[in-house]
Amino acid sequence: MKNALNKEIKDIIQDYPEVGRILEEYGIGCSPCSVGSCLLKDIVGIHNLDPQQEAILMYRIEKAIYPDRDVPEPKVDLTKKQAPKQISYSPPVKKLVDEHGLIKRLLALIPHIVEYIENSVNVDKELVLQCVDFIRAYADKYHHMKEEDILFKYVDNNAEIIQIMYKDHDTGRNHVRQVIEGAEKGNKAQIREHLLAYRELLMQHIKKEDEILYPWIDRQLSVTQVGEMFKQCTEADASVGDELPKKYERFIIELEEKFLQEVA
Amino acid sequence: MSGCPGSRTIDFSEKENQEGNETGSRPSQLRQWPIQLHLVSPLAPYFQGKDVLLSADCVAYALGDFHKDYLKGKSLAIACPKLDSEQEIYIEKIKSLIDDAKINTLTILIMQVPCCFGLVQVAKEGAEKASRKIPVKQIVVGLEGNILSEEWI
Repeated sequence: MKNALNKEIKDIIQDYPEVGRILEEYGIGCSPCSVGSCLLKDIVGIHNLDPQQEAILMYRIEKAIYPDRDVPEPKVDLTKKQAPKQISYSPPVKKLVDEHGLIKRLLALIPHIVEYIENSVNVDKELVLQCVDFIRAYADKYHHMKEEDILFKYVDNNAEIIQIMYKDHDTGRNHVRQVIEGAEKGNKAQIREHLLAYRELLMQHIKKEDEILYPWIDRQLSVTQVGEMFKQCTEADASVGDELPKKYERFIIELEEKFLQEVA
Repeated sequence: MSGCPGSRTIDFSEKENQEGNETGSRPSQLRQWPIQLHLVSPLAPYFQGKDVLLSADCVAYALGDFHKDYLKGKSLAIACPKLDSEQEIYIEKIKSLIDDAKINTLTILIMQVPCCFGLVQVAKEGAEKASRKIPVKQIVVGLEGNILSEEWI
């Protein structure tokens, strides 16, 4: 089992698809992951399952990989069934989770924006570039930079899960470049393809961060590190001023008024 | 079993598993004097930029590993929200610790009895009056020294 624990999950799932299905049952969505380079041992540790759940999961994975092996089934004490865990974030991490809220509001609007563009005679270039401005200035510069320059520095930057987050950020930036090119050329199909791809990418990315990555990082932080990170994030926010987040919140409210009211 | 939970008589001397690991001596992790919140000055060097522990008086007696697990690496202030007087001074001192001493974090350690939550209230009021913002954590200790909850507030 030690060998399997140190293998990349995509290789394990490729050889033993049942492992992917088992992980899915525990809310660990490795099968659809495009990278899959996390090690099995890191995946299990990172999801912070309660000890009983983890023991059963490991037992089932081991049986799936080595069906002929005599693996002792873990004893489960049903009287110790744990209540569902509520995620509690430290203050600097909570701030990043809150910022996801505004980004998710744009993601929710993207299908409406795409539909509006498709049904218009000419591409509303200004609208597309305003959305790009939100993505670049708020989601990428204001938010992702705090992750990359501050949060990720508190854990092993080479950890696979961190590398996947960097890759997601880069993929998102590529989609944004394509959206701009589409707007410049008036290419509706290009705008549609890359705005929707950006939406899908960011929805999965934010879910991974809120539910897995951030709690994992929080569990490793000392009280002193939480204080230091809070100070650094506060200074980073102060360097751009109070107006920036307010400006982009107003932008999202205007978009919601325009698109969601039309739907209603 | 009636009356104030903070002063109700409870005897758990017959509790099992009280031995623990007694190997070796346990050095004190206290790095300052004084410690009582009325006596400390927020301008004292041992508070500057530090992680501060604001502990209810009873906590250190209930929590077996108070020094090793909670005091180590932190500066300390102690107070009793039930018995201490002039607690408005406490609010000003918390504010000054945050604004003047520029402490890094504040951890409030209290007992589970209702009156102890008054110390959290004092700390919150001080933090709200301060112009700087810092992370504040609340840890609640059970009467038998177990940790009941630990959360950022």
